[in-house]
Amino acid sequence: MREGRSAIGPISNIPTDLLNIKIAAEVRGFDPLAHFDSKRLILLDRVSQFALVAAREAVAQSGLDFGTDARGERTACIIGTGIGGENSHNEQSSRFYGDRNPRVHPLAIVRVMANAPACHVGMEFGLTGPSFAVVSACASANHAMAQAFDMVRSGKVDFAVTGGTEACVTVPTVKAWEAMRVTADDTCRPFCRQRRGMVLGEGAGIFVLEEYEHARARGATILAEFAGAGMSADAGDIVLPSETGAARALAGALADARLGAGDVGYINAHGTGTPANDPTESKAIRRVFGAHADALCVSSTKSMHGHALGAAGAIELVAAIGALRDGIIPPTANFIDADPECDLDYVPNVAREKAVRAVLSNSFAFGGLNAVVAVLRAP
Amino acid sequence: MSSVQETIFAIISKEAGIDPGKISLDSTLKDLEIQSLDAVQIIFEIEDRFKITLPDRDPNFDTESVKGLVEAVERLVAEKSDAAAAPSAQG
Repeated sequence: MREGRSAIGPISNIPTDLLNIKIAAEVRGFDPLAHFDSKRLILLDRVSQFALVAAREAVAQSGLDFGTDARGERTACIIGTGIGGENSHNEQSSRFYGDRNPRVHPLAIVRVMANAPACHVGMEFGLTGPSFAVVSACASANHAMAQAFDMVRSGKVDFAVTGGTEACVTVPTVKAWEAMRVTADDTCRPFCRQRRGMVLGEGAGIFVLEEYEHARARGATILAEFAGAGMSADAGDIVLPSETGAARALAGALADARLGAGDVGYINAHGTGTPANDPTESKAIRRVFGAHADALCVSSTKSMHGHALGAAGAIELVAAIGALRDGIIPPTANFIDADPECDLDYVPNVAREKAVRAVLSNSFAFGGLNAVVAVLRAP
Repeated sequence: MSSVQETIFAIISKEAGIDPGKISLDSTLKDLEIQSLDAVQIIFEIEDRFKITLPDRDPNFDTESVKGLVEAVERLVAEKSDAAAAPSAQG
């Protein structure tokens, strides 16, 4: 992302003959057998495979052994997904309706269920604390991480494995997005005048949250401090976003993290590249940040990793943490000309060096469900 | 009123919950205060009824006005029946 390289390209994992929109940001070259034996794989939809691969990386990086000191019992496992086991659902439907094959796979249910990723991650690491999925379309990951954070902060648990996962690039899903006429056929160009909509992505982002004193005492490498979250619902339109709802979530995140507007250096925007989101989000940021809005870097990394729906907030938190750790703001790629309705600094096309102490990451879902998380440079 | 026009007026009226008397060929969907979600449903119902595909963002097709929609549908329906009448190269 710091190189501004976009992973959006021609769809290669599924047949495209019935598709009008033939681009996505797919996870390419993913060989499930490189990660799971065939016996286990029968249980795993692609959405769970992504979650497990990401969780293994996160847990290994954390250096935590959940088997020691009964840590697993004091660990929450909360993972967001917008759609769940869509590939398995599609595969079974296609056999049943398409091939008129009356035999449905006996493990269809456990592959499709939206809580499967959380279950498999929990089983892999022996996490026996509170565990469930959070579903709020494109805000699922941020809602999941906010929930996990609250549990750690309140002392209900000492650790959490959390994030989001999505594997939504299937023929029916792409067709359904096409039908809404909100997807771009060229690429994703958030905030710029030539934007034509969103581009689907897929993948997972998983994090290990740990109570600060505990992490410090064991000498953990702390990547960032999860400082707070703001959540709100528009309770208005099922698709059109509301400036007020977004602004309330932004202000809520600042208050929860005890930050002033001036503390924030970067916002990883929801920035879908649709006509409706980008001006509304820009106005909401301006409303909350006032004069400081002009000093903010605001970029949408969806221009590079696409819109991974229920995984979006988690993948974007990786970008946010990168900005905190490396002092490099990832750009909004594919940017051509400014849109007069979007008047912030979107860091067009080229990453920028800028030391930032606090970062917000926005997710605004269909249904008007908003979740903004605040992260700080590691103490 | 052509039957295409009549059908399109009926679809707009039903999907957007507008009195059919308020719809005229000269109105745009915006004039009729049709929200984007209702607009995509109108397009979908029209496509489904006439078994055609209305192009998205094609400058040669005006899907913003009622007149444009009627003309686009008439053109696509005519093209479809021409194609059906022509001998198929694939047999």
